[in-house]
Formats: sequence, C-alpha cells, structure tokens
Amino acid sequence: MSPVITISRLAKHYQVPEREAGMKAAFTSLFNRKYKTIKAVDSITFNIEPGEVVGFLGPNGAGKTTTLKMLSGLLHPTSGDVRVLGYEPRHRPHDYLRQITLVMGNRNQLTWDLPALDSFDLQRAVYGIPADEFKRTRDDFIELLELGDLVKKPVRNLSLGERMKMEIVAALLHKPKILFFDEPTLGLDVTMQRRIRTFVAEYNRRYNATVLLTSHYMADVEALCRRVIVIHHGHILFDGDLTSLVNQFSSYKTLSLSLQNSNLPLENYGEVVSREDGKVTLRIPKSRASEVTARLLSDFQVEDLTVEDTPVDDVIDQVFSQKEAA
Amino acid sequence: MNPFKLAWTYFRIGVLNELQYRVNFFIQLLQSAIAVATGLIGLSLVFGQVDNLAGWTRSELLAVMGVHILMGGVIRSAIQPNMERLMNDVLNGTLDFALTKPADAQTLVSVREFRFWQLTDVLVGLVILIVAVIQIQSKMGGLQIVAFIAALIMGAIMLYCVWLMVTSIAFWVIRVNEIVNLFEGLYAAGRWPVSIYPDWLRTGMTFLVPVAFAVTVPVEAITNRLTAESMLLAFGLTILFLLLARGVWLLGLRSYSGASA
Amino acid sequence: MRRYIDYYLTSMKVAILSQIQYRVANYFYMIGMITEPVIYLVVWSTIAEQQGGSVGGYTPGTFAAYYIVWTLVRNMNIVFTPFGWEWRIREGMLSAELLRPMHPIHSDIANFAGWKFVVILLWLPLAVFLTWVFKPTFDFSWLEAVVFFIAIWGAYLIRTMLLSLLGMLTFWTTRVSAIFELYFGLELILSGRLVPMTLMPPWVQNLSNHLPFKWTFYFPIEALVGSMTPPELWTGVGMQMLWIVIGASLLNLVWRVAIRQFSAVGG
Repeated sequence: MSPVITISRLAKHYQVPEREAGMKAAFTSLFNRKYKTIKAVDSITFNIEPGEVVGFLGPNGAGKTTTLKMLSGLLHPTSGDVRVLGYEPRHRPHDYLRQITLVMGNRNQLTWDLPALDSFDLQRAVYGIPADEFKRTRDDFIELLELGDLVKKPVRNLSLGERMKMEIVAALLHKPKILFFDEPTLGLDVTMQRRIRTFVAEYNRRYNATVLLTSHYMADVEALCRRVIVIHHGHILFDGDLTSLVNQFSSYKTLSLSLQNSNLPLENYGEVVSREDGKVTLRIPKSRASEVTARLLSDFQVEDLTVEDTPVDDVIDQVFSQKEAA
Repeated sequence: MNPFKLAWTYFRIGVLNELQYRVNFFIQLLQSAIAVATGLIGLSLVFGQVDNLAGWTRSELLAVMGVHILMGGVIRSAIQPNMERLMNDVLNGTLDFALTKPADAQTLVSVREFRFWQLTDVLVGLVILIVAVIQIQSKMGGLQIVAFIAALIMGAIMLYCVWLMVTSIAFWVIRVNEIVNLFEGLYAAGRWPVSIYPDWLRTGMTFLVPVAFAVTVPVEAITNRLTAESMLLAFGLTILFLLLARGVWLLGLRSYSGASA
Repeated sequence: MRRYIDYYLTSMKVAILSQIQYRVANYFYMIGMITEPVIYLVVWSTIAEQQGGSVGGYTPGTFAAYYIVWTLVRNMNIVFTPFGWEWRIREGMLSAELLRPMHPIHSDIANFAGWKFVVILLWLPLAVFLTWVFKPTFDFSWLEAVVFFIAIWGAYLIRTMLLSLLGMLTFWTTRVSAIFELYFGLELILSGRLVPMTLMPPWVQNLSNHLPFKWTFYFPIEALVGSMTPPELWTGVGMQMLWIVIGASLLNLVWRVAIRQFSAVGG
C-alpha cells in the first residue's frame, strides 16, 4: 500500500530581522536591516501509511505545528517535497481540503452564541455533506461522546471540555481521511482527555483514518500512538515504536524499594532519586539492573521491590536535554 | 495623595510610555489632517451657498470647528481612555486593584490613563482656532481670553462628569460599552453651533450631554456673543454636575463592593 | 452551485439567529449612528430655509427624505472592515477559514447578509420615529422601490469588494490604518454620504461618476428619493453590476497574490 503522507527533505526557514535593544540600534536598523535565518523545520523526511496513528513529540518551538501547517496547506515550504493523498497541500485544492481536518487545542470554530447543532449544520453546508449521511454521522458522534442535550446549549455556556468535544465533532462530520490534531487535549481534565482519546481511537478504527497528533501529554501518545516521531530544533530525532524509543534513549531503570528502615546508605547501589518514610527510589543503569537487584535483596530486609522502565516523560526530557548539551 | 499630584504622576508615566511609539504621532497627525480637510470641505460647501449659518459667519464657524477638535483631543486623551478602562474593570472585576490603593478611588480611575498622542488634536484645534480668530479680527481683550479659558475648563469638567455618571451605570447594568457610540455621535453634533438644532436636541445637548458648554459657549466668549447669564449657568451647572457625579460614583461603589462580597 | 446556495442560506440563518441575541447592542449602535445624518440634515435644512425654501433642488422636506433613507443605506454599507482583516489574521482565524473547501469571502458575504436582515428589521421603528420628527417629503413609485431594494444589495456587494481589497493590504504590512483613514475620508466626500452629490461642484460630480463610491451611497438613495427616469434607474443598476464585476475580478487577482504572501510567512 502506498503511503498517504510523504515528506521528503521538507524545510521551513524564516528570515527574522535582528536588532539589539536601545534607541541607537532602533535608528540604525531603519537603514541597515540585519536578518537572521530561523530554521523552524530543517530537512525532515518521513512517510505515513493509511490508518496509522502517529504521535508527534517535541518541546515548544520544535517545529511540530509548523510541520502540521505545511501538511494542511497553511504554510508554504521553503524547500523539499510534501504530498498528502497525492495532492500538494499548498495549492489547497478543494477536493483535498474535503478529506482532511485540522483541530487545534485552543482555537474556536463554533459559533459562540448558538447551540453546537447550528454549527454542525453550517459544517454540513460548507462541506456539502448529503443530508441523511450527515444526520447519521452526527447522531453517531453525539452518542459516542455522550453529548446528549448539550448540543442544544449555546456554546458560550459550555465548559472547556464540553466545547472541545463539540469542536472535534464539528471537525469530523465530513468524515475526513486524514486527521491533524494539534494539542487536542490542552487544558482538559483527565476524564475528558480519556473520552476524547477513546473517540479518536474509535474513529480511526471505523474509518481507517490516518491520524497525526501532537501533544504535550504523554498519556495521549501512549494511549493512541504506536509510532512516534520526535522532533527538536526542526530535526527528527527519532521515528519508530514508542517502546523502541524508551529502549534506545533510556539506559536506566527505576527501582522502587519498600524497607522498614529507609535511612540506609544506598548510594553504592545506585542514584537515589527520592527517599520517604519506608520507600526509596533508585535509578540504576539497565545493564546492572539484575546485579543490583540481587545484591539489594541479599543485603537488606526488603519488603517490596519493583523494577520499571523509565517513564516516557523522563525519556523525552532526557532526549531533549542530551541534544541541548550536544 | 492630592489629586493633582496623582494626575501628574500618571501623566508623566503615560507620556514616557507613549514616546516610544513615535510612529503613532504621524498616524495621529494624518488622521487629524483628514478630519480637518473634510471639515473644511463641509464648511466650503455650506458657504458656497450662504454667507452665514443661523447668524454665524464662516470664520466663526471655523472657530467652532477648532474648539470642537481641541476639546475632542482633550476627551480622547484624558477622559475617554479612563472611562473605557473603568467600564472594563467593572465588567471583569478588576476594579479591586484601584480600590485598594491609598488614594481616592474616583480620582484614581479618572487620571490613570493618558493617551499622549491624542494631544495632537489639541494642537491642531488650537491652530485652527488661532487662524479663525485672526480672520474674525474680533477685539480679544484679556477678559475674553479669561472667559474663553474658563468656559473651556468648565465644559471639559462637565463632559467628564457626564462620562463618569454614564460609565457608573456599569455598576448596575454591567454592559455599557455601546454607550460610547452614543457619546461619540452626540459629541459630533457639537461641530456646529447648538443654536441651529431643534429645541429638543438643543436641550439635550445643553443639559444632558453638555456639548454646548464644551464647544459653543467657549466660542461665544471669543465672538462677543457671550452673556453673563451663560457664564453663570455654566458655573452653576459645573458645580451641580460635579456633585451629581460624585454622588452617583459613591452609590455605584457601594453597590460594587457589596456585590463582590 | 446548489451547494453554494445551500451554504449561503445556512450561513445567513446562523447569522440572523446570532445577531438577534444582540438586539440591544445593535440598537445602541444604530442610534449612535443616526446622529451623523441628523447633523447634516439640520445644517442643510437651515441653509435651505435661509435661501427661501430650497438649495440645490432640495427642500427641507426632501433633505429629510434623503437623510432618513441615508440611515438605511449606511447600515447596508457596513461590511467587514479592513481593521477586521488585520484582527482576523492576527488572531489566527484566517487559518481556520483557509482550511475549508470554500473561499473565505463567501463566509464574509453570507454572514453580513444575514445580519442585514436583522438590521433592516430593527431600523423600521427608527425610521418611523425619524419621519415623525423631521417630516420628510416622500414621493416614490413602485419601480423606484424595486430598484431601491436591488440597489441596496448592490451597494452592499460593491462595498464588500472594496473593503476586502483594502483589508488585504494587511497581508503585507500592519501599518495601514493611515491608508484606511485616507480612504474613508475620500469616500465620505465622493459617495454622497456628506451631502447629495448634486450639491457638490461639477468637477467633483464628474469625478464621482467614474468611481465606485457614488454607487454605494448616492445612487440607492436617489433611486428612491429622487426623480430618476426608468432608463436612468436601470442604467444605475447596470453600473452597480459593472462595479461588482470589476471588484470581484480585482479581488480574485489580489487574493491569489495575498495568499501566497500569507503562506510564506504563516499566521
């Protein structure tokens, strides 16, 4: 099967005027403008197959949103190639736009003073969805997200989470094949986040839609994505399985001990991460994990012991800080 | 802290802040220039047909235009920004910051904003006024000038009081932003001497929104139309408005603090 | 094609439902707005009376008619401002529009068109009040009324094109408020908003015949209030169509360049 998204050496550079503070610099800059090139995205390459749910990870300013905007046609690339469903996004052909959707975490598309149902109707008209198909899809989504009568309340009276659910429904009514999500669960509580994740997963399952999702919340990525692409300073640092990511970048394991006496000198065994009453957490290199575990069990009265992989959040942090240092 | 010192402090800060944006000066100048141009075109259209409008000659009307622009500059630099901020503070509940400062709240909310570049209009208005006065060649004795300045100050105070009272309605009704439109419309009417308007409108422009006292009366001082009665009335009304405004303000404050408890 | 009609009707419905909730705000705005024509009316009626009853062919009664109809035409002229374009780009709302399989101008036109219906409804009592106060002299035929109804929508479309063109300048620079003010100043003089065009010197009238402004303001008002012959009325409508076509073509051209600029820098 051919990939739905192909990106080859895609780059986005900006020319930003550079100026120092102060009045003198302000004046001289009027005559002698100095520019600096910012490489928001610096030659990235990857392909995405139909039906994949891919997580796009990176700190702020890494290039995630820029890439999404190039994929949805809002931004023209500086160089390189990008094709989605065979189209070049930057021409924004209407047939292409009908098959994609871009949902951004804190942006509002719904009509503020009216019930969401009216906004849904507007979407129907914009995308030219046949009436009965529209009704079926709409009612289906309302049921899936358990929206009930909320769709009849004016949008301004809804909570942030309820509004986000409406936004997502509105964004998917035309049953797009490609979903671009930019921080969709930003600012929502845990229950809401989970609901939305379940919905997206269900949509992906039903319609074999391709999903590209950026998020700050590892939980989003862990729950939905089998594949992650890590981007930093406009470069791709990693592209593959989530578990491989952990394995590749994290060379440590976390060891949690429950002891009667937690004031024992454990520094020789590993790095002490935290120490509370009765519980100590150690960080040890993976290669020495079994050796240290054995020693601890024989040297001390251990009530409970768990060995875990480093949490993905920490892995990501490490990845970025490593690259910073480099 | 005494109100004048307070006002001066905020004025200084406001000016320092805005001096950074020199471009605003040129934009403001251009806007004033366009306003003056359209005003002059209007005047020449009128005087292409008649020599006087309800007894006012062309130069006298030019003087009215000058004072109108001048006063407009005073409103947009000192009065309006403060009132708009007050409206928003009441709407968003951020008035508390002003209320917890060791100064009289009414003074504070009335002086803390100052749009320096709007003073361009005061300058432009003054220039036009001087041109008009030269054309009129009226006998401008010291008494006239004093009367003129006094009338201007009283007019400005009255406008401020009315603005404050209307803005204070926000304490009860919350959304008064649209009233600004009304004000600007009524003030625009002051471009022409109040005497040409039908009685009902003239009364409104004198006692309700005292545009008459802000524009027409000061010009009357320069064009020898001013009567002692007008000045006395202006003085009396100024005091009345000041007291009324203070009263409304205090009532509103009580309602505000009570509500947020 | 059917899809566009469907879209316009749906959009207008949504706009009407939204704006009805803002009746009070709309009313305050309209009331504030009638002070301008009232000022012009009073000044020119005074002049007319001083000149023995009429000036430039207008009596106080016909001036009143002109300026009362003015208030409706002025409302029809209100479209998405160039300042709104600046705001929209800055807030990122333009991106949302660009993702839809439809040119953003359609949503602007449809939204405001729906709003106009609410405005017309709210205007009626205001018109009654103004008629009672200023006693206009009204005399129009059915043909004039029909042409008037067409003309106000023509005016709406022309002004939409013009202000959208102006608004697109904000794609290139944010320092455009001065240009906008200049434009509005010119429009004030050349459109019939300040005074009926017949009161302007001949060279101004000549100039305005070659510009679109007169067709957004003076023509609709005169169609109803004045005494234009049927050929003149229909020629006027034709001129409106011409300006709409010119405006739309220019809009298309500039938009293509503008969007390239936008996508290079992003929003």
